[in-house]
Amino acid sequence: MTVGAMTKKILHAALFYEIWDAMKVTFKHMFHKPITFQYPREQRAIPDTHRGALGLLRYDDGRERCVGCDLCEAACPSRCIKVISSEDAERPLQRYASEFYIDITKCVFCGYCVEACPVNALAMTKMYEFSTHDKRTLLFDKKRLYEIGERHLDDAKKYLYAHNQEKNVEESREYRYYFPQSVVKSTQSTPKHLS
Amino acid sequence: MGLKPATNPEVEAATIELSIDGKTVSAKDGVSLYDVISSTGKIIPAMCYHYTFDPFGSCGMCLVMQEGKKAPVRSCTAKATAGMIIRTEGDDLFQARKKAVEKHLSVHPLDCPVCDADGHCELQDMAFHHGVTNLANAKQKFIPEDTRSLVLDFNMNRCIACAECINVCKDVLMIDALQFMKKGGFNQVVAKGDLPLSCEFCGDCLAVCPVGAITNKFSKYLYKPWQMKKTTTTCNYCGDGCQMQIETKDTEVIRVTSPLSWKNKWGDRADTSKGHGGICVKGRFGFEYIDSPARLKQPLLRKGNQLAEVPWLEAMHAIVDRFAEIRKKHGSDAIAGLITSRCTNEELYLFQKLMRAGFRTNNLDSSARYGHMNFVRASKQALGIGRTGNDWEDLTKAKAVIIIGSNLTETNPLTAVRIKEAIRVYKAQVMVFDSSVTNIGKLASHPFLITPGTEGLVIDGLVKAALQMDLVDEEAVKKHPQAFAALKAALGSVSLEQLASKTGLTVENLKETAAIFAESPRSIILCAEGIVRQPGGYDNVLKLIDLAWITGKLGRPGCGVNTVTEEPNEQGAADMGVAPEFLPGLALFDDENMRDRLARAWDVTLPAVGAGADLIEILKRCRSGQIRALYVVGENPLGTLPASMEIRAALDRLDLLVVQDPFLTETGRMAHAVLPASTYAEKDGTFTNLEGRVLRVRQAMDTIGESVPDWHIMTTLANGLGCQWDYESANDVQAEIMKLLPGYYNLGQPRKVAPTADQYLSNGYAGSVAKRYRTAVPGGQRPFTLLMGQLLYHSGKLSTAAAGLIKISPNTGRIRMNLSDMERLGLGDGATIRVTSDQGSLQVGVQQDQGMAPGTCFFPEHFNEPPVKDLIPVHVDPVTGVPSFKRTRVTIEKA
Repeated sequence: MTVGAMTKKILHAALFYEIWDAMKVTFKHMFHKPITFQYPREQRAIPDTHRGALGLLRYDDGRERCVGCDLCEAACPSRCIKVISSEDAERPLQRYASEFYIDITKCVFCGYCVEACPVNALAMTKMYEFSTHDKRTLLFDKKRLYEIGERHLDDAKKYLYAHNQEKNVEESREYRYYFPQSVVKSTQSTPKHLS
Repeated sequence: MGLKPATNPEVEAATIELSIDGKTVSAKDGVSLYDVISSTGKIIPAMCYHYTFDPFGSCGMCLVMQEGKKAPVRSCTAKATAGMIIRTEGDDLFQARKKAVEKHLSVHPLDCPVCDADGHCELQDMAFHHGVTNLANAKQKFIPEDTRSLVLDFNMNRCIACAECINVCKDVLMIDALQFMKKGGFNQVVAKGDLPLSCEFCGDCLAVCPVGAITNKFSKYLYKPWQMKKTTTTCNYCGDGCQMQIETKDTEVIRVTSPLSWKNKWGDRADTSKGHGGICVKGRFGFEYIDSPARLKQPLLRKGNQLAEVPWLEAMHAIVDRFAEIRKKHGSDAIAGLITSRCTNEELYLFQKLMRAGFRTNNLDSSARYGHMNFVRASKQALGIGRTGNDWEDLTKAKAVIIIGSNLTETNPLTAVRIKEAIRVYKAQVMVFDSSVTNIGKLASHPFLITPGTEGLVIDGLVKAALQMDLVDEEAVKKHPQAFAALKAALGSVSLEQLASKTGLTVENLKETAAIFAESPRSIILCAEGIVRQPGGYDNVLKLIDLAWITGKLGRPGCGVNTVTEEPNEQGAADMGVAPEFLPGLALFDDENMRDRLARAWDVTLPAVGAGADLIEILKRCRSGQIRALYVVGENPLGTLPASMEIRAALDRLDLLVVQDPFLTETGRMAHAVLPASTYAEKDGTFTNLEGRVLRVRQAMDTIGESVPDWHIMTTLANGLGCQWDYESANDVQAEIMKLLPGYYNLGQPRKVAPTADQYLSNGYAGSVAKRYRTAVPGGQRPFTLLMGQLLYHSGKLSTAAAGLIKISPNTGRIRMNLSDMERLGLGDGATIRVTSDQGSLQVGVQQDQGMAPGTCFFPEHFNEPPVKDLIPVHVDPVTGVPSFKRTRVTIEKA
């Protein structure tokens, strides 16, 4: 070991050079904006197409949209939906879902059920926080699903819009449950891909 | 329309040749072109076609190109002729068919998501196959849904006017309850006269409807076809043994469907002689008792005055201990058992094995004793077969049918459909003798209304007429001259005029019937409750066999004496030896050969010959205190037999009454222990139907509550009593039966056995024949005859637990009478009358029924409220011990 190297070592030891060197990154970060979110104190902005918790929707006049057709159940790849349908006692000949269950622990959030729904009664929301102490509460029943739908109505509508299902925009028609023209003539024109 | 070939077996149609898609095909002359094409295996879509009736030709889908014609032709209504050159494929045909689908769809509402037929809809399939995505001139009909009927809803917006419902109702079932009617600018299917539909409610129209125009009220909106588990099983209401599909979702039964459906539309019409695949109202709409809330879910044990729910283990321990104690104290003969014929063959077999090998007693009987045993005993005695001689195909192809004492369309609707086909297709002459105006009588060529209770005299008259007119088959009687002479002598003193006047017929009626029966090549006799459930039933069946013998119909193909059964497995109960006089395989109890085999197989000594008691004897011994313990499986003697039998007193004296039933019956309420048994939908097994066909019963769902199949309970009980039974499933029992009775199952086909009366006619026939023809005329001073019988919508007491059937046919609590009688007595509908018989008197309402003959009144046997059954005395047959309690003379006065 030469004298120069020895001197450098003593100097480094005396001035705690390694510590200053190691703390360089730390000090640098003290002066720039953090990248991570402080979840759950901070919430992230979520895109409209996000597939979160499922909710059931009502029409503007408060009627349930769902007609209990069981198509969501048929479309579900993870078999987490169960619909029990029957005739509405108050409105004879009207079919509705008397019970509706989604086992959210089994759900893979593929969105097929929303796509299958002919009346757009189902929509996905931006809600993704399901953590609970009791796993049984993750079997969403009809009441819970309508609550989610009500609380996140705006998000649900945005989801349907983003997935070209609900809004009456020309390009959205391609994914839409399509009623024949003359039945609902006043609200629909032939979609581009069909004409 | 007559486009089908002549289905008469005597006429063979000529063979023709035609070319289909370049291949030469030979076919019968006069057949529809569509049938010829489908027989080659090519499927052309057709929505209004079904093989069970003549083509209608309204859907315009079955288009084919015929050489020499410019436009496509409808193949269903076109007759196949020699030398035709046909093309069934091609883009032009596809486009033409697509146009037809578009035509139907343009007036069809696209409410598939809420339609019950979604996923089981022919129009949907066709639209998918033909790629119909856009409709130019669609319009809605806006017809309100017809929900007036109790059973079916008609949504005529969805109707495609294929007329399958109308055709099946009119041509196959001959009920003719539907019609087309122009209403609101559209052709609609409505009930006759646009009234609320009120028919036999067989639901075959629902089954053949290719769209959702006719829907079932009991399961409306409850399902989508893909959600349900389908299980093919056998109906457990009557002895017809119809195959049906129970459709379940988790633990509830959603609906029942039949093999008859628009999906099974291709077939050979000649095959319908074995059954057209439809089911009746009981089968299709009577499923609700299976998952009824009234079902027993826990074993019950009597504690003090109450029946308390206990665990299985406790109940079984208590029962086994009590049985063992009673056996030790009073001997084996103090124990007896009764079982219902609604159990499977395997359970019936295990039951008699339990009684004979477990309890070592021969005191056992089944509900076949209530009537069918008369037929079994007579048939066994005379012909050696102990069951009906003919199957459904024989009934269909008969040329002459005598139906005596049977309201066939009510008791066995699907056997009635066979007779209807015989009338319609094979032009059979049907002679109906009944004391009420029956539906089958309305269709028959020779309906006769007879005085109630004179069925036996009618048979005397027919035999006498056959002798007097010399309709005797020489070959048949030549072999047994002595027997024939004895028969002649027995009838020597009776005159035809006397018989005719007593029965309310004319001499010509009897002569004509005898002549038609004797001269036709295939003659069938069908006797049922009017014979086998009435006094003298055994003798009357033997007399019918006499009639068949002297006219040479015994042993001839397509001829024979038959009966129908009320419960699904009455024949099986007899075959499995659940009667003190029979061993399994209908061997007599003293048959040394069979006794040896059973003793070896079971490793026990069977009860001694001569021991044992049948139903009436068991109840008598209960009353006298000889029998201390009674094991009742699904039976309900308290609810079935009249009060004069003092069943309550008899059951009260018992030390132990164990009832095993899906429901808490009247008898069950008196029991010391009640065990919850499963219904047929929750277990495997087989039923033997009235043809002798062994049919599968399959488990459609898990057992309800803690109920357990009967065979399981019996196995546990036997093991508790010290037997070493190791049956783990009904299949194990089946394997044992197969070993003991080789050929019994016979792959579900009726076992063909040629009846031989030689043994019977040459041994002791002459001695017994004389007293058989001394039929007493039912007398009595009272002016009216009270009859009890079955309704179409019910079967035994079981169907009263089915909510749907009760909705269709509730217990009105009223006696049914003819209008003229009611007017004579000054009674209106709903008036109260006092009915008095020798047994007692009762106040009851009255209702009008056009089916009743003047001088008779009727109350359905399914209902015990009011207790009309208690007015009727019980007559026990001296030979077969069959109790008959369905008819008596009564006085009726205004109350």
